[in-house]
Amino acid sequence: MRNTTMTRYTKLLILTLSLCTIAAAAHSKTTIEWWQFWTDPAIAPTIDSLVREFEQQNPDIDVKVTNLTWANGHEKIVIGFASGSGPDVVELGSDWIAQFAANGHIADISEDVAEDSAAFQGWGMSTYEGRVYAAPWILGTRVLFINRDLLTQAGYDTSWLPVSLPQFYEAIARIDSLGRPDGIYGWGSNTAEKHRLYKKYMPFFWTYGAQLFTDDGEYCVISSTKAVDALKDYKWISDDYGYVANQRGIEDAFLDGRIGVILSGDWLLKRIEIEKRKINFATTLFPGPGYPGRSFMGGEFLAVNENTDHREEALKFIRFMTSPKNQIRFCKANRSSNPSSLEAQADPFFSEDINRLTFIKQIKLAKHPPVDPDWVYIEDEIERAVEDALFGQGLPATALHEAQIRITKIKEE
Amino acid sequence: MVRRRTLFGQVLHYGLLIVVLAVMVGPLVWMLRVSLLDKTVSLTAQNLLSASITVANFTDLFAQSDLARYLFNSAFVASVVTLGNILFCVMVGYVLARRQTWPSRILFATVVIVMMIPVHIVIIPLYLICLKGGIYDTYWALILPFLINPVGIFLAKQYIESIPPSMEEAARVDGASELRILFRIVMPLCKPAIAVLAVLAFITNWNSFLFPFILTSSEDLRTLPVALALLQGHQAIDWQHLMAGSTVAVLPVLVLFFVMQRQVVSGITAGGIKQ
Amino acid sequence: MKSRSLTAALFASPWTVSFILFWTFPLLYSFWMGFTDYQLLSRHAPQFVGFDNYRALLGDRDFIASLKNTFIFVGGTIPVTTVVSLVLALLVNREFRGRGFFRSAYFLPWVTSMVVVALIFTNLFERGGYVAMLAQMVGFEPPVNGFLYDRGTALYAIMAMDIWMAVGYYMLIFLAGLKAIPDELYEAAEIAGASSWRQFTSITLPMLRPVALFILVINSIKSFQVFVEIFVMTKGKFDTSTVVYFIYETGLQTQFKFGYASAAAYVLFVIIGVFSILQFALMRRRQAAW
Repeated sequence: MRNTTMTRYTKLLILTLSLCTIAAAAHSKTTIEWWQFWTDPAIAPTIDSLVREFEQQNPDIDVKVTNLTWANGHEKIVIGFASGSGPDVVELGSDWIAQFAANGHIADISEDVAEDSAAFQGWGMSTYEGRVYAAPWILGTRVLFINRDLLTQAGYDTSWLPVSLPQFYEAIARIDSLGRPDGIYGWGSNTAEKHRLYKKYMPFFWTYGAQLFTDDGEYCVISSTKAVDALKDYKWISDDYGYVANQRGIEDAFLDGRIGVILSGDWLLKRIEIEKRKINFATTLFPGPGYPGRSFMGGEFLAVNENTDHREEALKFIRFMTSPKNQIRFCKANRSSNPSSLEAQADPFFSEDINRLTFIKQIKLAKHPPVDPDWVYIEDEIERAVEDALFGQGLPATALHEAQIRITKIKEE
Repeated sequence: MVRRRTLFGQVLHYGLLIVVLAVMVGPLVWMLRVSLLDKTVSLTAQNLLSASITVANFTDLFAQSDLARYLFNSAFVASVVTLGNILFCVMVGYVLARRQTWPSRILFATVVIVMMIPVHIVIIPLYLICLKGGIYDTYWALILPFLINPVGIFLAKQYIESIPPSMEEAARVDGASELRILFRIVMPLCKPAIAVLAVLAFITNWNSFLFPFILTSSEDLRTLPVALALLQGHQAIDWQHLMAGSTVAVLPVLVLFFVMQRQVVSGITAGGIKQ
Repeated sequence: MKSRSLTAALFASPWTVSFILFWTFPLLYSFWMGFTDYQLLSRHAPQFVGFDNYRALLGDRDFIASLKNTFIFVGGTIPVTTVVSLVLALLVNREFRGRGFFRSAYFLPWVTSMVVVALIFTNLFERGGYVAMLAQMVGFEPPVNGFLYDRGTALYAIMAMDIWMAVGYYMLIFLAGLKAIPDELYEAAEIAGASSWRQFTSITLPMLRPVALFILVINSIKSFQVFVEIFVMTKGKFDTSTVVYFIYETGLQTQFKFGYASAAAYVLFVIIGVFSILQFALMRRRQAAW
C-alpha cells in the first residue's frame, strides 16, 4: 500500500515538474546566431522573410542574422571561432569546410543528416574523414556561355552547339578569325586571380581524365600526361584566341559581344537579367570526350558550431533553410542559384528554363576538389602551375611536375 | 637672383610647365570626367570629350549604397583623430620643449626613433592587441592607436621651442595652474603649428587604408578608401560609379588642401614626413 | 617643483602610453611570435619553434620573390623620384606668373588617397587604355593584356605610378632646400662669370646634398613598405608581391600564420633598420666633410 502511495506521489511530482519545465521552456526563448553572405538587394528581403517565417513556426527560437561580405567574411568566421564568439549556424563556402572541421570548430552532424542523404546533392564537399560537417544548401558550377550571333557569323547553324572538344576548339578558332581588329576574340581567358584561375583549368583537367591523387589518395599525380595535355590545350586557346582579363573584364567583353565563348557561373545569368542585356547567347555543358565533360563544382553550406549550446535549434534552422520549398524560394529570388535539393532541382523554374537547366545538368556532371585542410596550399600550387604556364616562362609539363613535387611535400608534412 | 630671360626661354619654360601639368593633373581630371559620364556609355576618348555630363552616378551611389555611411565614418574618424592629435601632440610637445630633464630627453628620443620605424611591420601584433583588447571591429580600433603621432609631437615641440617662455612664466607667477597655462597660453600661441599638424593629421587619416582595412571587418565601419578598394572587386560595379565614389573620397581633401595650402607646405618642409 | 614634475609626467603620458602600448609592446610581441608556430585557427597554444620560421622564410620562394620585388621597387623608384622631383623643383623655383598654381597642381597627387590613385591607374593601365595609347604613340608596343597583367611590366607600371604620386611631395622639400641656399653665392659666381650650368653643378647641387640625403632616407623607409597599390591593383600577381603584401597574405588571410608573418616582418624591420643607419652614417660623414 505504502509503496503504491509513494509511486503515486512520485508520479504526481514528476508530472508537476515536467509541466513546470515545459512551461518554463515555453517562456524562455532561445536565440541562435546565424552568419551568412547574401546581402545584395535582390536576395536580402527573401533571406529576411525566410528567417521571420522560421521564427513564426518556432516561437521559442529567435534567429539573429549577421551579414558577412565576400571580402572579409572568411576572416570574420576564423576570428569568431578562434575567440570563441562564433555563431551557432554559419554559412561556409565548400573550400573552407575541411579547415574548420579539421580544427574542431564545426560539429559532426553525420547522424543528424543521415536521413537526408538521398534527397540532397553535394555531401561529398562536406564529408571530411568519413564524417559529415555541413549541410549542402546552394550549389554552383560553370558552363559555357556562347555568343550565338558570333557563332552564326562564323558559319555555324543557328542551333548548333559544340558537343566535343574538337568542335569546341574549332568554334573558338573560327569566331576568333572573324577579326581581332574589330576586337573579336574566340575565348575569354582568366588572368592570374587568386582562387579563380585554377577553377577555369580544372574542367579541362578533369574532362581530359586527369586526377589530382591516386584513387587511394596516397600519391599526387597532377603531372600525368592527361593533365599536361589539358594544360597545353588550355594554354593554346588562351594564347591564340584568348581575351585575357579578370573575371569581370571577360564578362564585360562577352556582354559587349566581343568574345565568342566564355566559361562562367550562374551569376552571369542573373547579371544579364538584371541589367537587361540584349545579347543573343546560349549556355551549354562543358564538352568532352564522352560528352558532356566535367565542370568545377562548389557550394554554400550550413554548418553548426561545435561549441554551440543550441545544437538542436541550429539543426532545425538548417533543415528549414535547406528544405526543397525554401531552396526554390531562395533560388527564384536570386534568379539563378542552383539548389542542392533534388526535389527543388526538378521544379519547373529550372526544368523549363533552358539556361537554368544547363546548370542543373552540369552540376550532376561536375567535380569538386578534395576535402582536405591542406587544400588551400595545394590549390596555391595548382594555380601557380597554371599561372607559370600561361603567363610565365614555365612549360605546362615542367610547371605541373613542379607542382606535383611540392604537393607531395605538403602531404608529407 | 633675378635674371633676364629670352622670349624663347620663357616659351620653353611654360611649355614644359604645361606638359608636366597635364601629366600630374590628367589622371585626376580623368577621374572627375568618368564620374560624370553616363553609366551606359563606354570610356572611349571620344565619349569623354563629347558625351554629356550627368550626376546620376553620384545620386545612385548615395541612394543605393552605403556611401553616406562611409563618408560619415571617414569624416568622423579623421575628425576625432585630428582633435586628439591637436590636444595630445601639443601637450606632449610642450613638456618636451620646456623641460630639459633626462626623462624628457629620453621621451623625445623615442619620438624620433618611432618616426623612423616602419609602421607596417606591427600590423600583426596591432591586430592581435585590438582583437584581444576587444576593440577589433569598432570605432575605437580606428581611433585609439592614432590619437597621438610622433610627427605631430615633433612639429609642436619645434614650434614651442621658438616661442620665448616669458608669458608662461608670468602666468605661473600669477598662480595659474599648468593646465590653464597649456590651454590659455600655449595653445593660442601655437595656432600656426596646430593648423599644420591638424591638416596633416586629417589628410593622413582620411586617406589611410591599411589599418582601417585590417582592424575592422563590418561594412558599417568601412571608411571611404576601404569601401572603394573592396568595391572594386565586386561583381556589379562599373568605372563610372567607382570614379564617382573616388571623387567623393578625394574632393574634401582637395578642398582642404587648397584652403590650407600654406600650412600643408610648411608642415611638410618642417617635419618632412608623412606616412 | 615636485608637483611640476608630476604635471609634466601627466602631460607626457599620452605619448608614454601610446609608445608602450602601440610601439614597444607590438615590437616585442611580434619578436616573440616570430619564434613560435602561432596560428589563429589552430586549437593548440603557440609553441616555441626556435629559428624554424626564419629558416622556412629563406626557403620560401614567395618570400624571396617578394623580397626581390621590394628591392626592385625601392631601387627603381628612389633615384627616379629624386631626380624628377629635383627637376620639378628647379622648374618652379624661379619667379614667374602662376608659380603658386603650378606648385600646388604638381603636389595634388600626393594629397589624393592611394586607393583612389591605384583605382584610376588600374584603368589607365588596362589594355587599350590611355597609357597603352601613349606607349604606342612613342613607338613602344604595349603588352596585349594590359600593363598590370604582364609579368614583364606589372611591377614597373606600379612603380611609375608611385613616382608620379611622390614627385610633387619631394619637389616641395627640394624647394625648401633651394630657398636655403644664400643668394650671395650665386651673385659671387655671376661676378666671376660662371655659366648657369657651372653655377648649378658647383653651387646648387652640393648645397642640396643634405636635403637629397634626407629625401633618400624617408623615401626608402616609405618605399620598403609598399602595400596598398599592390592590394588594389594586382593582389600580388604577375610578380608584384612585396614583403608587406606577403605579411598580409600569410598573416591576415586564409592562413593566419601569425608566427611566420611576424618573422617576415622582422626581416623587413632589420633591412630597413640597416638601410636607415647606413644612410644616416653617410649623411653624417658628408656633413663632417664640409
